[in-house]
Amino acid sequence: MYRLVDLLALPAVQRGAAGLLIAAVALPIAGVFIIGLDIIAVRFAVMHVALLGITVGLLTGADPTLCGLTACALAGAGVAPFARRPSGLPGAMGLLMTFAIAGALLVLSLSGVNATGAFELLWGSILAVRGVDLVVLGVLAVAVHLLYRRHRRQLALLLFDRELALCSGVPADALMLALLVVVAVAIGAAIRLTGALLVDALTILPALGARALGRSLRSMVIWSVVLGLLGSTVGFTVALLVDQPPGPVLVLVAGALTLLTYLIPEGATDARPSRRRADRPGDDAVPVDDRVWQH
Amino acid sequence: MSSAAIHFDRVTCRYGRRTAVDSVVLDVGAGEHLALTGTNGSGKSTLLRAALGLHPLAGGSVTVGSVAARTRAQWAARRRQVAWVPQRLSPGRFPLLVDELLDSGGHPPAAREAAAGLGVAGLGSRPLHTLSGGQLQRVFLSRAFGAVAAGAQALFADEPTAALDFAGQEQVARLLTRLPVTVVVVSHDRAMARSCDRVAEMAAGQLRVI
Repeated sequence: MYRLVDLLALPAVQRGAAGLLIAAVALPIAGVFIIGLDIIAVRFAVMHVALLGITVGLLTGADPTLCGLTACALAGAGVAPFARRPSGLPGAMGLLMTFAIAGALLVLSLSGVNATGAFELLWGSILAVRGVDLVVLGVLAVAVHLLYRRHRRQLALLLFDRELALCSGVPADALMLALLVVVAVAIGAAIRLTGALLVDALTILPALGARALGRSLRSMVIWSVVLGLLGSTVGFTVALLVDQPPGPVLVLVAGALTLLTYLIPEGATDARPSRRRADRPGDDAVPVDDRVWQH
Repeated sequence: MSSAAIHFDRVTCRYGRRTAVDSVVLDVGAGEHLALTGTNGSGKSTLLRAALGLHPLAGGSVTVGSVAARTRAQWAARRRQVAWVPQRLSPGRFPLLVDELLDSGGHPPAAREAAAGLGVAGLGSRPLHTLSGGQLQRVFLSRAFGAVAAGAQALFADEPTAALDFAGQEQVARLLTRLPVTVVVVSHDRAMARSCDRVAEMAAGQLRVI
């Protein structure tokens, strides 16, 4: 315990813990969006887009992280129109990934920038989090929560079915654009924090657990944040105690939590009785006929 | 509550090179109840979806009231103007509660009252994917009744009784044909067709019999 307290006194550990906490209340919500949009492979695409942005940053002398996040945002906006196609977004993500890696390698080759330097930024490390990264994460967390809180009902319909959303007055195209930009930037920011290979611990794993436990968008979001906070706190603490890299330990803890949710029988959380008076069993015997439209 | 006349003017829709709806001309009077029948794949559903802007028009136009939607804002207004019961009642790829669907029609009290009448009142807090096909259809119908109560001037229903039991089919046919708005109902149900003011039949993308 003394060792843990000593470690927590280190500025790098404090920044890492703060970064993880901020990420844990926002990135799992982006994970819920990712599952709703059926684009679990999005991280591969965004990872390559971030690499392209970082490469451009190194080439131009601009901040590589901000260039990476900007590239992620542009890529998210760029694939949004594909959501209108019957085949949806998964194919577009594959295309984006291929173009991005080709573009990054070409830029690296043409510019003579050291490729190792670019790739190193992708591995990320919680203990290497800088003040600017915390600011970026904070802004992102606010954006994710604003998007969710202001458009919760519309998002629920859009993620359920795009055409139903359109017929319910939801501005589906604009909302999809916002959703994809936020998701892409969230993945890009999480990559900086944990590295591309471990980004799932903060996004998709809590959301997968929430998918098993939640019965609606609202309950999924709540569960995802709970699981994200639990996984991050326990994972980071265990990593410090056993003196191992936080990234893999975080993934193992988050994965174990997700696995536990899979042990809950399917549908066990589905059929809770409503507390609404009008929804009590027996109320459905009301004769309807002409009354239903006489409002 | 008002109803709108609908005018399909040489409407053509395609899936790739295949023409699904071929220069259909059809007038539905304000407050009229029209049954659209025809064989599978004859273009009935595509015609309704095109009128809602859910399938692109390759030619022609659809006027509801006096507006032929062309801009994004006009299509959005069209979808408020016309309540819709879709054919494919997808339980969705993402959880949505029955109450959330009912609320989306624009008039939650009316939708809940309709749900009570259609026997699905106790399901408000259940996700749609846990419902049977018949329950799902009743919930979508309740939502559409809510949309009518919210001010929709027409209702398009695509096989609204396909998943219902006999009593449910009769009840829904009775409800739809008493609605004081323009109704276009795609149906293979003869009783439903008989209860409408007029029957139009489609075959191979064309309107054959009125």
